[in-house]
Amino acid sequence: MYSLKSFIIVALVCTSLTVSSLDTARLLVSKQVLNKLLVQDSDILVKYTIYNVGSVPATNVILQDSGFPAEAFATVKGNLNIRFNRIPSGANVTHAVVIKPLTYGRFNFSAAVVQYKSSENAEEPQFAISSEPGEGYIISYAEYDKKFSPHLLDWFAFAVMSLPAVVAPFMLWWVSKSKYELILKQKREKVSKD
Amino acid sequence: MKFKWTLLCLSLLVASAGFVRAEDEIDTDEEMIVSEDQVLVETEGDESILEDVEPTDADTFLLFTKPVFEEKASIELPAGRLSEFLVGFTNKGSNDLVLETLDASLRYPMDFNFHIQNFTTVLLEKTIPPGSQATLGYAFIPADAFAGRPFGLSINLAYRDIEGKQMISKLYNDTVNIIEVEEGLDGETLFLYVLMAAACVLLLVCGQQFLYSVGKKRVGGGLPNRTRANLETGTKSSKQVDMDWVPKNVLNHLNKQKAQSPKQKRAKKTD
Repeated sequence: MYSLKSFIIVALVCTSLTVSSLDTARLLVSKQVLNKLLVQDSDILVKYTIYNVGSVPATNVILQDSGFPAEAFATVKGNLNIRFNRIPSGANVTHAVVIKPLTYGRFNFSAAVVQYKSSENAEEPQFAISSEPGEGYIISYAEYDKKFSPHLLDWFAFAVMSLPAVVAPFMLWWVSKSKYELILKQKREKVSKD
Repeated sequence: MKFKWTLLCLSLLVASAGFVRAEDEIDTDEEMIVSEDQVLVETEGDESILEDVEPTDADTFLLFTKPVFEEKASIELPAGRLSEFLVGFTNKGSNDLVLETLDASLRYPMDFNFHIQNFTTVLLEKTIPPGSQATLGYAFIPADAFAGRPFGLSINLAYRDIEGKQMISKLYNDTVNIIEVEEGLDGETLFLYVLMAAACVLLLVCGQQFLYSVGKKRVGGGLPNRTRANLETGTKSSKQVDMDWVPKNVLNHLNKQKAQSPKQKRAKKTD
């Protein structure tokens, strides 16, 4: 009889274990840099997407990205550490942060760290790392300006310089035109008087 | 008696574990995971063959994020466009696992050893501690030329355990359809339409000119009187000369000169 009891206990433990191992949340975390051109002192958009592909909701999801050191990056908008209370099964969550690089040069965009409770009664948090955008080259503002500036001042100078060449012939034409028009007008007035 | 009970208990446990395993496999099949773990075994030659082994400590998951599929059975990738997927990796064991490479390739569907297009092999070199998870991102563009045909897509993740034993997890190894993207309006058709419109306008103008000339010939039977009167015949009399446009001082000057003809001038001089 004693052994039967033990068997039942063992069987119960076994089933509870299998249930807990099957019904867990599973998060896939992608980190993407959306800018094509990384420029010093201009905004970079970083997008984090968390997909829950497990069968139960993930709770207490904490996303931490320590990949942007304070001496090299300033956060313009958004938070690099964020907490989601609950991500339902089959759902995804997107989080975006705008940062600004203070210097230029090569930079390795590394993975963010996520921790979450994979089920309601999980005691230990599950640790995960996101995908890595990889290495990118942040170009200096001077270099960017050389390639993409609208050159407004240059065009203005060009306009001023080309002004005499256009205005001088126009003035000559205008003077002679107004002279002959005046004659025509006087003639017409004469005719109408007659 | 006691021994018998324990035996029964043990056998049941094993059976239940087996059942769980089988259920797990079905579940994973449903969720599009293909985790047939294989081990690279070095043979005498340089060739390495793949050998099936029992499932290892790794648990993988594949999720296509671009394009998104509702039905998990049929994967259709747009040719010439970016396709992205995420790979989830869990270390279920008690030792570190090191992710090595992730690669994808398009194969000939009849013979998966025949490579059609190889995509980037990403070097990872990431250590995953026990119980931890990692996500890997991968993006590729199937070539434009492969549109409208099925191909075998093979996605492999290579990793090694603490002893240095290499393993390859086949994340996906099935036939996919590469589809052609229907573009709304491309430059070529736009310019074709512009050209057609221009041709139509030209045709209309030509037709109008033709009709006009035909009509004139029929009705007039030659040049009408009005046009004859307006024909330029040269300046016959000085009355017809329009001197309106000449400034007054110039006209005065001219008149003065006319009044005094050169003969008179000479006569005056002689006098």
